[in-house]
Amino acid sequence: MTAALVIAAAGVGFFFSLSGVVGILRMPDVYCRIQCSSKTITMGALPVLLALVIGEGPFSVYGSRALLVCGLLLVVNPAASHALARAAYKIGIPMWRGAVEDQPKEQWLAEHK
Amino acid sequence: MLPDVYSAVAIAEIALAAPLLVRLAVGPSICDRVVALNAVSTQATLTLLFFAAFAQRTIYLDVGLWLSSFSYLGTLIWARYLERGLL
Repeated sequence: MTAALVIAAAGVGFFFSLSGVVGILRMPDVYCRIQCSSKTITMGALPVLLALVIGEGPFSVYGSRALLVCGLLLVVNPAASHALARAAYKIGIPMWRGAVEDQPKEQWLAEHK
Repeated sequence: MLPDVYSAVAIAEIALAAPLLVRLAVGPSICDRVVALNAVSTQATLTLLFFAAFAQRTIYLDVGLWLSSFSYLGTLIWARYLERGLL
């Protein structure tokens, strides 16, 4: 029973990690890749860590460390992705040519008309 | 039963890091490389935690914990450096 739950959680995590890796390889520009990377971590790493928690119990040595890494990733990863996307926009990495919306640029143009 | 599952998960996660190394090598801009490096270090953290549970060695847990926290710091420092330069 425990083994089945562990395999199920790890399978869900592996599927999302795989889709995120394919996204990082195939997406057209850096902003889409940042989105895929943060999905890899949130939806891919957390179920895999939950598999370890289920398998070892939340108060064992391994399970408690897995919970700690879970909390750390949840807090830290959106901040890192946001900072990276902001830096990419500020140093002027071009968007994909099919991109339809550039709100900061439109705002800047409206202010400096 | 459970150690087999742990070793399988560890091997699968580190196998997922291999295509990310391609993006790390060819990424057209520096931000692509930082994104790929962040994902690779997350996969390495998961692999370390599962290998610790597989081998029953608690020392690898500390390695995984430090790797996850310091990969975040590395990403943040790269973003800050790209945005404002040194300082």
